[in-house]
Amino acid sequence: MSRRRSWALASGFFAIAVAALGLSAYSGASSSQGFAPVQPVNFPHPKHVQQLGMNCLYCHYSANRSPDPGLPAVGTCMGCHTVVQGRRPAIQGVADRDTASINQLLSYAKGTPDQWKPIPWIRIHKLPEYVHFPHMRHVNAGVTCQTCHGPVPEMQRVYQYASLNMGWCVNCHVKGYNLADGLLAAGDTAGARAAGNVEPKKARYDCAVCHY
Amino acid sequence: MSQPPKTVVKRREFLKVLGSTGAAATAVGCFQEPVEQLIPYVVSPDHTVPGVSTNFASVCRECAAACGIIAEVRDGRAIKLEGNPDHPVNHGALCARGQAALQGLYNPDRYRGPMVRRDNRLVPATWDDALTLVRQRLSEARADNAAGGVRFVSHHENGSFGAFVDQWMSAGGFGGHIAFDAEADLAVRAANQAEYGSAWPALDFAAARVIVSIGADFLDGWGSSVAHQLSFADARGKLGTAPRFIYIGARRSLTGLNADEWLACRPGSELAIANALLSAVGGSGNTTIAAAATASGVSEASLQRVADELRASQPSLVLGGVSTPDAHLVALAAARINKAAGNVGITVKPDEGLSGLGGAAGAQALAALATEMNAGSVRVLFIRGANPVHALPKAMQFAEGLTKVPLKVSFSSYPDETSELCDVVLPDSHPLESWGDSEPVRGVLGLQQPVMDPVFNTRAAADIMIALARADNAMSSRYPWATYRDFLATRYPAGGNAFTEAVGKGLGQGSVLARNTTSAALPTTPQAISGDGEFFLVVHPSPALGVGAGANKPWLQELPDPVSKIAWQTWVELHPSAAARLGVGNNDHVTVRTAAGSITAPVYIYLGIHPESVAVSLGQGHTVYGRYAQGIGVNAVDALGATFDGAGRLAWTQAKASVTKGVGGARLVTTEGSARQHGRGLARAVTAAQLAAGEMGVEHHEFIADASHEFKPGLRSPVANDAQGNLGDSLSTKKGMYADDHWSGMASRRWAMTIDLARCTGCSACVTACYAENNIPTVGARWQGRSLRPFHTADGAGWDNEPGANILKGREMAWMRIERYFEGGEDGSTNFETRFLPMLCQHCGNAPCESVCPVFATYHAPDGLNVQVYNRCVGTRYCSNACPYKVRYFNWHGYGEEARRQYAFPEPLNLQLNPDVTVRGKGVMEKCTFCVQRIRDAEHLAKAENRAVEPDEFTTACAQACPSRAIVFGDAANEEWSVARQVEDQRAYHVFEELNTFTAVVYLQKVNHPAAGGTR
Repeated sequence: MSRRRSWALASGFFAIAVAALGLSAYSGASSSQGFAPVQPVNFPHPKHVQQLGMNCLYCHYSANRSPDPGLPAVGTCMGCHTVVQGRRPAIQGVADRDTASINQLLSYAKGTPDQWKPIPWIRIHKLPEYVHFPHMRHVNAGVTCQTCHGPVPEMQRVYQYASLNMGWCVNCHVKGYNLADGLLAAGDTAGARAAGNVEPKKARYDCAVCHY
Repeated sequence: MSQPPKTVVKRREFLKVLGSTGAAATAVGCFQEPVEQLIPYVVSPDHTVPGVSTNFASVCRECAAACGIIAEVRDGRAIKLEGNPDHPVNHGALCARGQAALQGLYNPDRYRGPMVRRDNRLVPATWDDALTLVRQRLSEARADNAAGGVRFVSHHENGSFGAFVDQWMSAGGFGGHIAFDAEADLAVRAANQAEYGSAWPALDFAAARVIVSIGADFLDGWGSSVAHQLSFADARGKLGTAPRFIYIGARRSLTGLNADEWLACRPGSELAIANALLSAVGGSGNTTIAAAATASGVSEASLQRVADELRASQPSLVLGGVSTPDAHLVALAAARINKAAGNVGITVKPDEGLSGLGGAAGAQALAALATEMNAGSVRVLFIRGANPVHALPKAMQFAEGLTKVPLKVSFSSYPDETSELCDVVLPDSHPLESWGDSEPVRGVLGLQQPVMDPVFNTRAAADIMIALARADNAMSSRYPWATYRDFLATRYPAGGNAFTEAVGKGLGQGSVLARNTTSAALPTTPQAISGDGEFFLVVHPSPALGVGAGANKPWLQELPDPVSKIAWQTWVELHPSAAARLGVGNNDHVTVRTAAGSITAPVYIYLGIHPESVAVSLGQGHTVYGRYAQGIGVNAVDALGATFDGAGRLAWTQAKASVTKGVGGARLVTTEGSARQHGRGLARAVTAAQLAAGEMGVEHHEFIADASHEFKPGLRSPVANDAQGNLGDSLSTKKGMYADDHWSGMASRRWAMTIDLARCTGCSACVTACYAENNIPTVGARWQGRSLRPFHTADGAGWDNEPGANILKGREMAWMRIERYFEGGEDGSTNFETRFLPMLCQHCGNAPCESVCPVFATYHAPDGLNVQVYNRCVGTRYCSNACPYKVRYFNWHGYGEEARRQYAFPEPLNLQLNPDVTVRGKGVMEKCTFCVQRIRDAEHLAKAENRAVEPDEFTTACAQACPSRAIVFGDAANEEWSVARQVEDQRAYHVFEELNTFTAVVYLQKVNHPAAGGTR
């Protein structure tokens, strides 16, 4: 009888273990990490950032002064693309432009500016509404964009790099942000070397810092 | 507060753009989050940063006072209104009605665009169609030589608009224009003009040694209530040397409840009292105290005492503001008392008076128009901003007259009783969407600018009129301006550039275009209250709803009346003795019948009403006016006839009435609980004499503090750092997230608040400010209350289908409420005192709620906040059960969820939601956060400027709005903050200090000024 009871117990434990595994898998799956939707305009970050050397803040213009990082207006794109049009053959060693992508942009910017339409980007990075994430506090503290957003300058199609789960946030708030690591992630090896071994920058972590 | 940009409006193209809309579309793959779109601007507007507010100065149009406001605009949407600190009238404060202007702007029942009557129904039309029709009828009238039959009724507003309409009418050769104001106390304005030479002198309550108000409800919306309240609170803030305030009237209004003494007089006898007091101070009142006592039912001794006080305590301040047919005579007598007592220039300052009030007309002016309409001599009638069908008695036959006018054109923004009878609706833009001006004080221009693009397809009335004029050959030469803004800029004395600059501040130099007005002499014969019946019917405007314009704003409907604490309802106030005589109790229906008509509403038994009177508030009883107003309560005007005071305003207190018990009843939608403190010592008071002697806390309380517990004054008592225990440092012996010396400095702060009950008047502006700031849902609408059986029958009928059902169930969500307690008067006597106690989360240092939460959803932040984490909360409601202050509110129905019937923010009300505050979902507990979002904002700003948060740098929404300046918020751990000094005041106490909760909200006792020999 005691043997039978122990078997019954074992199957009970097994059931609990399966449930726990399932729950943990579920909780992992609740992040949209890796989400890489096809955007209405195939905006090549590598072209703009790596080849042309544009700064993140040129387009995401309020990341250092607002909770909201800001998205470029069609007008911002057209500042260059009024001149830099598609459908031009490769000439004299200058590579062909990505005509298809530029034409995607131009399809939203037909006619005069009052006829332009906004580009309906698909949102990738989204925190729940009960979390308040002030971009400017992080940017001004020296956290590089790549620390959270990953190697966007290399992404042909942007995807969600980090899990954005609370544990991921709190980890950095508690252990602190290492400037050298951040600069390294941003590809600034010289800067990382110069930053050296500074004290990691910690942040408050009680609930009401972000949840209110 | 950032300076508003200079060239603000033309460049904003907000509707194209709208930051990031939550356009939830199809779910992709296995992602649980719905895919959202991010919609950027097409062209970035200058001067705005997404996610950062821009502030625009403008003018409040919710009453005639025209206070200055600052509209906080985030991503193209106005999300909060606050007073303009530089404005000479309101100095940064704003009342509940002013705050609720946002819900007029975003009202879900607004006209979406122009409407034209076809087949006896108003149907949507294009602007071209609607304007063509109007133009055509105007030319026809002119062709028929009947241009004089084109008339205009506007809502009188402080500013150039009235004269602009006059010019427009004369340019077209049209007939007269009536600038109607149903609420303004025209009798007082006329009397003031006659006696002081200023329609509304500035009143300096603090300079007076005694204040006597004869029915003048200066805190309830009489004149300029924010300005009055600021000054009255300053007077009360003098504590021991504050002026005694005596209120004489048939009903204790909010103003009356703030008085130290109430003389309950018969309605209609105020004139005798005013004249007797005038005689007593040496004027020619020609009435003796004895005669006044006989007429009013007030004891001769009391009147004599008031007369003696007026003689002995100078300067004084005497105000007369009744609504009887004698109103102008009472106001004249009051003004003459001030003159005789030498108060003019000291407490009554005609030179600093409100300006821009000229040219307003009362109901009497519309009586003449109604006669003409009924005679068929009006061809075209324009109506803008006024709702005469609701505001006028049936006997005036205004609605009948309207049907005889061939073309009625309404500029109303909302469907109301009048616009629904019109043939064309040209919806006006909201004041927050249009240009205007006001002259709050002589020589100072308040400038009203659009703070955002129109929500709907509306146009400003003045712009429509300019467009009509420019398209009219007879008028176009007189209209060189393309818009009303051009009109205002052109006539600005210092020129167009200076105008643009002044608009940024909301204030400039100059005068509004004044109407040509002739003031008729006021009649001198007193007019008695007429009719049969054993009761006087006292009708008064509602402090929140006015005479009706506020009824479509859910914040104002949900705001419990400051006096009765009833919301979403009309009630009939009866004295306990009268109720006993009639055999009725609370909730029973009574029918109040006068010669003019009758109304039926539930009884509210109220100590503060003269035993021979019944009182009913105006504002409700709308048959049309949007989902929040329609079918709520009754319109008290239905019981009134066409009787006017000498200045032409409808005399609200005009008739005697019979009161009979009606059939059944309706549960009062009240948040009152108990009107008595039951010895709990919640709202405490001392007399001026006790204060002078330093005898604090002498009031008897049943529950006294535990003698073994050492209670330290102020906030020096020990505070539990954190009920959660050691989360941060496992080695720490301290219970707390951070060590005391943590770099963040969080542990050394203590956010705290003081509320000075001597200053608080109970006006409830803070409550509405809290709703606006914190996305608090209103829950009282008819469709929000219904639940499952057994409350209603299968056909859906039942008490919980009535407005306010959720409140009846105790489910109101007001994070901040004003508790109102009576002291004394148990025998029905007039000698009772009222204490108002703003009650909000006390942010206890040792909080009962924190220790009972099974999921740590509520915990104590190291900076002293009692924090509620919505995403942790599972809704056990243990915390609410444990809270001794009952300040935690449970979100029963998911008021923030669009798909639910109970959704509290139907489009476009949701555009008002504060993006800095979570919109709570179903099943979570919510409560006051001490405006933690404002704390975070201040920290963000300080960090950006690389400095610490400075003392008194910011404050909470309630404290910001408070027109009494009774609330002070800050860091009590830092002596440089005002609050740290306030908590050391000798009047400071904590509610329920015997529970060792160590609250962070400290109350300062009220100071009473009893009559000589009295105790309260």
